[in-house]
Amino acid sequence: MASLFVVASKEFSDIIKGKRFIILLAVFALLMTAAVASTYTSVTQGVSVPRGLPRGFLLSVASGLATMMSYFAPILGIALGVDAVSGEREKGTLKMVLAQPIFRDTLINGKFLGTLLAISLAVSVVSFIEVGGCILALGVIPTGDDAVRLALFILFSILYAMAYYGIAVLISTLSKKTTVSVIASVVIWAAFTFIIPIVASLVAYSTVPIRIQPGQNITGIRPGQEMTPEARQLMEALRARTSIVETINMFTPNYHLTRIAQYILQASVRVGFVGIRTPTQAERAVTIMESLASSWPNILVLALITIFTFIISCTIFTKQEARE
Amino acid sequence: MEYVIETDGLTKIYRSEGREVLALDHLNLKVKRNSVFGLLGPNGAGKTTLIMTLIGLTLPTSGSAKVLGLDVVKESLKVRRKVGVLPEGAAFYDHLTAEQNLNYIAALNDIPKEARRGRIEEALRVVGLLDVKDRKVGGFSRGMKQRLGIAQALLKDPELLIFDEPTAGLDPEAARAFKDLALKFRDGGKTVMISTHLLFEVGPLCDHVAIINRGRIVVQGNVKELVEKMMAEEGYRIRVWGRGNVGKLVEALANLKGVKDVRLEENYIVINAASDIRTEVSRLAPECGVEVATLELLTPSLEDLFMKYYKWG
Repeated sequence: MASLFVVASKEFSDIIKGKRFIILLAVFALLMTAAVASTYTSVTQGVSVPRGLPRGFLLSVASGLATMMSYFAPILGIALGVDAVSGEREKGTLKMVLAQPIFRDTLINGKFLGTLLAISLAVSVVSFIEVGGCILALGVIPTGDDAVRLALFILFSILYAMAYYGIAVLISTLSKKTTVSVIASVVIWAAFTFIIPIVASLVAYSTVPIRIQPGQNITGIRPGQEMTPEARQLMEALRARTSIVETINMFTPNYHLTRIAQYILQASVRVGFVGIRTPTQAERAVTIMESLASSWPNILVLALITIFTFIISCTIFTKQEARE
Repeated sequence: MEYVIETDGLTKIYRSEGREVLALDHLNLKVKRNSVFGLLGPNGAGKTTLIMTLIGLTLPTSGSAKVLGLDVVKESLKVRRKVGVLPEGAAFYDHLTAEQNLNYIAALNDIPKEARRGRIEEALRVVGLLDVKDRKVGGFSRGMKQRLGIAQALLKDPELLIFDEPTAGLDPEAARAFKDLALKFRDGGKTVMISTHLLFEVGPLCDHVAIINRGRIVVQGNVKELVEKMMAEEGYRIRVWGRGNVGKLVEALANLKGVKDVRLEENYIVINAASDIRTEVSRLAPECGVEVATLELLTPSLEDLFMKYYKWG
């Protein structure tokens, strides 16, 4: 057990003192500052101040935080995991460490633990820059509910980053060279972030084509209106498209973070069909428990990705021959 | 315990992409306590696999091995706690100083914090790196890194030190410094096992050797005994240099009982015989009108030994 903490402590120290971590943190801290400035501008110009809502502050912060986190967390996870095993193997430090009285799984467990701490620190720092910046800029004190929701979102962002770290470590464990590991990890990140969502849309659009003819009566899609058969058909087609897109995107960790952000940070739900939003739609507040109940499948998926990649990496690494 | 390492039918087969590679083939090895033991063999002979198996980092396919009386499979952690190893191609963290690197290794070995500093400084002093303990390892020369590798092996004050290809890539001065250290460790009561394909580098300092090839121990034993065994098998080579009727002496020697071959090599007469016939040579020389200036028995070198058994392997 002591060896686990020795490895974790060294890993954490190496990461936070490393150039890679400091540069990433600095870049995203700057981007978060830009997000704060953007939020401030839109609020002071009265463009998107949800004053009528009980959790206006959270909505102001949420958009920038969720968007930034969807890029920062994967990049951070991949950057820290991509050479976790292959880098040590290439440099020869793995041989030196394994010649000491520690089990192979202790090394990988220690790396996970140390990186978890470093990722928690980084995600918290950039989140606090955004939240703190908004508090200072807007002069609004978040409510207790807001604070809990933000804390939960930070927690799930850490989980999201760890899912990507797990994927990167798995690739690093399988790769003999770090360059291969880097390329494979970046390809996977690009697939999850850009390629799969594009493919999902293409599949949905080609599977469910929608053609609105001139003069077609599609009234009734707004609440309070009676729906015409054409409008009902259109609604069904839109639902089918959304369903296809979501089903395909479910295979990406990014989709699950987006859903978690929606449930946790948007503390109100619009009543009625969410595909087409209108200012007149009614809204109702949801409790934190309700948000968690809605987002638990997404949280579970992120947790499972992290746990499975960790277990598989650990199993493969333990079975690898020391000579390799 | 007379032997610090004992293996019995140790076999290792690597399976990769549907292929099987026999790395260790029913290997039986014994290493005596308090000696410098040379594990000699060409590249790919199975030396590194043997070392990895001895410290429990590679599981044997069959057979067994004990190091310091501990089973290498069931008690691998205890083995690594007691054995100082410098694996081939092992490296340190370049961004850390020599002291920080050793501190990490010491922590992994559960050396108490209060004892660490003293142990680290002592190990660095032994290898001559105490003055540069605060320098980052990234700036070290290859020789310095190798010495740091020896220092990390010494941290746990082990009974047995295993060095895998310790002189590979070192300049002559660094290689010599290593040899001095190895002898110093033996004199201090430790057992040193050196695995190498560079026979000329470390062969001369070994008390016992084992020649390994294609996963098998071709021959093992005390260097002197092995040399005598080789002379008995291959014949005694005697070299004579003298003035006078050398041709007549060559003819006379060729007719001697037990002489296999006599030839002239750069003014020397070189005799290959089944026994030591130096007495007969000194008797025959004056009879043939030759005044002998040099008469010597050519002892096979460790390299000759290596080449002979290497070919056998």
